[in-house]
Amino acid sequence: MKRDLISIEDLSEKHLRDYLELGKRVEGTSPEVCRKVLAGRILGVLFYEPSTRTRLSFEAAMLRMGGQVIGFSEALNTSVAKGESLADTIHTVEQYCDAIVIRHPREGAARLAAEVSRVPVINAGDGANQHPTQTLLDLYTLQNLFGRVDGLRIALVGDLKYSRTVHSLFHALARFKDVRFRFVSPETLKMPEYVIEASEGATTEVIETTSLEEAISDSDVVYMTRIQRERFPDPVEYEKVKDAYRLDRAALQNAPAHLKVLHPLPRVNEIATEVDSTPHAAYFPQAGYGMTMRQGILAHLLGGKL
Amino acid sequence: MSPEQILLIPKIENGFVLDHIPAGSGVKILNLIRGHQELNDAVLSVGLNYTSRRLGRKDLIKIQSRELPQRFLQHLSLVVPGVTIKRVEKFAIAQKIVLEPPELVDNLLSCPNPGCITNHERCVTTCFHLVRREPMKFRCNHCERWFAMTELENRLKL
Repeated sequence: MKRDLISIEDLSEKHLRDYLELGKRVEGTSPEVCRKVLAGRILGVLFYEPSTRTRLSFEAAMLRMGGQVIGFSEALNTSVAKGESLADTIHTVEQYCDAIVIRHPREGAARLAAEVSRVPVINAGDGANQHPTQTLLDLYTLQNLFGRVDGLRIALVGDLKYSRTVHSLFHALARFKDVRFRFVSPETLKMPEYVIEASEGATTEVIETTSLEEAISDSDVVYMTRIQRERFPDPVEYEKVKDAYRLDRAALQNAPAHLKVLHPLPRVNEIATEVDSTPHAAYFPQAGYGMTMRQGILAHLLGGKL
Repeated sequence: MSPEQILLIPKIENGFVLDHIPAGSGVKILNLIRGHQELNDAVLSVGLNYTSRRLGRKDLIKIQSRELPQRFLQHLSLVVPGVTIKRVEKFAIAQKIVLEPPELVDNLLSCPNPGCITNHERCVTTCFHLVRREPMKFRCNHCERWFAMTELENRLKL
């Protein structure tokens, strides 16, 4: 049976820990051996929305595992612009490749692609819904920085309403033991009830606040997010909150020495560049872990031996 | 039911009695019946706001029809779960079932989320899972959003 990676909701705590283990195995494998794992295999990369890190890290991951990549980075120059349905695009592309990575502005697009595809499908973001490989790389980053995920105190900061990254990460972390959360956001960008509701049953402690200062002094991880202009139906609302949180050196003065700052990137104003050189900054290594994690994901879904 | 109430709704020889409908929901069921062409010719008797020991007040509908279409029953179990359906043969009750809310709702609803792919792709089948019974909530299998039944009532695919 083919394997897909569509939603964090499909993964149990054991699945999550298995993926973290896969990342470790990639790191423990030499580049020469890695290049043989998916040799001769082709990855179809279908990006209907712009992306830098996700697309490039998937492509780099496939190349490092010895495979090759085909695809598009915008739908404008494809048959989609002529009105082709997603199902028809998938039926076509699956003829050419061994797995498909898809990013699409509509929620549920990756699930639909997986339903019609005979090759594995990986969700690289479907509208405001899911971005499971980002979540896995975030978990993998935490595992590498702290040696564990269990028991961490994590502040999620910024756009908690529209950020799919934050929603998925919260649901995934809630499955680990004793993870405690602080939700830091303006009132208008609070974590939606339906997201909290969906994690019901997990043993989690959640404190909601508007104070970033308080979160910095009492957390192991501050996970910053960009306030995403493109998700706001009303531009006036965006202007009101766009600079709500800005992390700079001064704000980190009272931070515990071990505090790490993560960000899914791209950033705009929410983290000052002066933070980059502090020992707290971990967002660029996080992007690096993304490639390692995706190497593991590709090997796993394509049946490559690591 | 008291003898006076029995007089208000005539007995039927053959057909179905939809009983234990919470007061006010009878109208929803009438709308549902209207949406199913197979039932358009059926003779209906409707009683609203009767006294009920179990519910306080209840509605009741009798349908003189040979069959109730499967899809109607599935829609009914969504819109007004808990209704008792009695099949009547020659004035006697031949069978009685209570409609439970479905665990899986296969292509009976369209998704209320305008950003859901199922509202943009041709010929796509929707699927919802029951994720909570009290209050009843369903999750779209595609966009993964949770919806209360009140948000889904007007999304029935008839």
